[in-house]
Amino acid sequence: MSSTLEEINFESPSLELINEVQQFLYREARLQDTENFRDWLTMLTEDIHYWMPYRYQRYRKNAKEPTIYDQAYYNDKMEDLKKRILRTETGTCWSEDPATRAAHIVTNIEVELSNTPDEYQVYSLITVRRNMNEDEEHTMVGHRTDTLRRVGGELKLAKRKIILDQNIFMNKSLNVYL
Amino acid sequence: MTAHNDFNDYIDAKEGWVDRRIFWDQEIYEQELKQIFAKSWQFVAHDSMLPNVNDFYTTYMGEDGVVVARQKDLSVKVFLNSCPHRGNKFCYADDGNTRSFTCNYHGWSFGIDGKIGALANEHVYDKGDIDKEKWGPRQARVDSYKGLIFATFDPEAPSLEEWLGDFRWYLDMMLDGDGSGTEFIGGGIKSYVNANWKFGVENFVGDAYHALWNHDSGLKAMNNGEGFGQAVTEGSYHASMNGHGWEFGTDGFADVIIMGRPKWTEYVQNVLKPQMKERLGELRSTIYGSLASVSLFPNCSFLPGIQTFRVWLPRGPRKLELRTWTIVKKSMPDEIKQEINIGCMQTFNPAGVLEMDDGENWEGNTSVNKGYLTRQEKLHYGCGINRQIEHEELPGTIYAGQFNDANQRQFYQRWADLMNADSWNDIPTRYTPRYSGKSTV
Repeated sequence: MSSTLEEINFESPSLELINEVQQFLYREARLQDTENFRDWLTMLTEDIHYWMPYRYQRYRKNAKEPTIYDQAYYNDKMEDLKKRILRTETGTCWSEDPATRAAHIVTNIEVELSNTPDEYQVYSLITVRRNMNEDEEHTMVGHRTDTLRRVGGELKLAKRKIILDQNIFMNKSLNVYL
Repeated sequence: MTAHNDFNDYIDAKEGWVDRRIFWDQEIYEQELKQIFAKSWQFVAHDSMLPNVNDFYTTYMGEDGVVVARQKDLSVKVFLNSCPHRGNKFCYADDGNTRSFTCNYHGWSFGIDGKIGALANEHVYDKGDIDKEKWGPRQARVDSYKGLIFATFDPEAPSLEEWLGDFRWYLDMMLDGDGSGTEFIGGGIKSYVNANWKFGVENFVGDAYHALWNHDSGLKAMNNGEGFGQAVTEGSYHASMNGHGWEFGTDGFADVIIMGRPKWTEYVQNVLKPQMKERLGELRSTIYGSLASVSLFPNCSFLPGIQTFRVWLPRGPRKLELRTWTIVKKSMPDEIKQEINIGCMQTFNPAGVLEMDDGENWEGNTSVNKGYLTRQEKLHYGCGINRQIEHEELPGTIYAGQFNDANQRQFYQRWADLMNADSWNDIPTRYTPRYSGKSTV
């Protein structure tokens, strides 16, 4: 999903825009940590694509970009994200009671203007520290490439691609969004 | 009687219990690597993962790393991924395409056939120092059944056909519904679960029971808020042979509906089932898509209708590596393949709304055994213990009602039979096949 030279807008984003994007990502992280998933959905465009493809370790000569037709942890549209959230609202989601404690830490935020007005490409690192059950603690790191779009004056997330660092996902479940 | 433990002391299929130490003890685990994983036919790859000459995939048989490689003549070889010089792995990639592998340590190279090729600075060796033919990595026996590639390192093991036995009658629903064959969707998801490998296998071999309670939230998520409702026990079965097990209903659609993809449901109804009815008959076309789960002994599982396909690789007595794929029929339109890909992944991978709840249970099942007293307590496997029936059409040891521990009992019986056996002749015949030497289509 990296931009070609023709697509990159080399103008620098304003400090106001950088600040606005940062606040957007922090707010998203807080809504995740506090399990306000329905509020989080309002931060996404209706045509959201939330994608975390599979990860394989390959020789450099065999390097291959994953496609949306390959297997993926997430390959979700809005209706799919709503299904996931419905699971946590059923009252029978036993593994989330007691609740998971998650801290979404967003860093390395970089904003790029695009040639589409009101759309920005945003890179960030997401680190989730997850503590659950008696004493289990897990760390997951993802490299995110987002497309943020201004809709009616407000920023919304339109696309997210997450590349996981771990080759073998080292936990029994991915019950948090990266 | 052998020098080691009598493993019939650890399970009792007639009384219906299993000793918890088989999910915890290092010594028993070491015996499993020798008696189960060094002997059994194990699924190593699907044909579609290696479409071209020189394609390879790396995996494990037990804890033995292996390379699965497509040869020039399109046959497949499976060999140990360990350099015979000092032992290092000579391939660190998950998959790819290459004419040779070279060990990082001293530069010994290996052909795609696993034979030793050139050595770096080969002139340091004198003529006669090494017989390359003799010193190549150990090769496994390889065979396949309708796209699934299996391997065993035991030259004495029965043929794959005999190993699968009448289970082929059931496998054909998944692999041969219309004669076009199957393929895996690209890539794969790998994850660790801190649980004994057998908990994954036994869950798929026969545990329909947990789905109703444990997966209520996941099912409601995928099915517009509707759960399974009460367990229906009529018209459903456990079928088992050689430790393999298929538990299933005859409702026709429960597993298909769990995917939450209306286009897939429609395709199953209008295309897939009519094809299957013509090729495999009425009964099998009814079984396919019903609430069901399957395991192949020792460590391969899948869900017909949800199309997740997986192996549970042992990583010590208290840890497993789960590898999951999505299996589709080659003849399906791309749009349907993608519907299955998305629905399967939303339900069954570490982020799947059903899978997320399973790992939690299996880790709990395993970790409690650190308690000395806890692990002296037996586990109950007595559900439906008196429900064995004879069935005209269904091959295997058949029990009525899919809410049952029958397939789990047979799985652990097979486990004990292999753990006890000094040779293949020591393994008791627990079921006489109907389709011996015959096609199941």
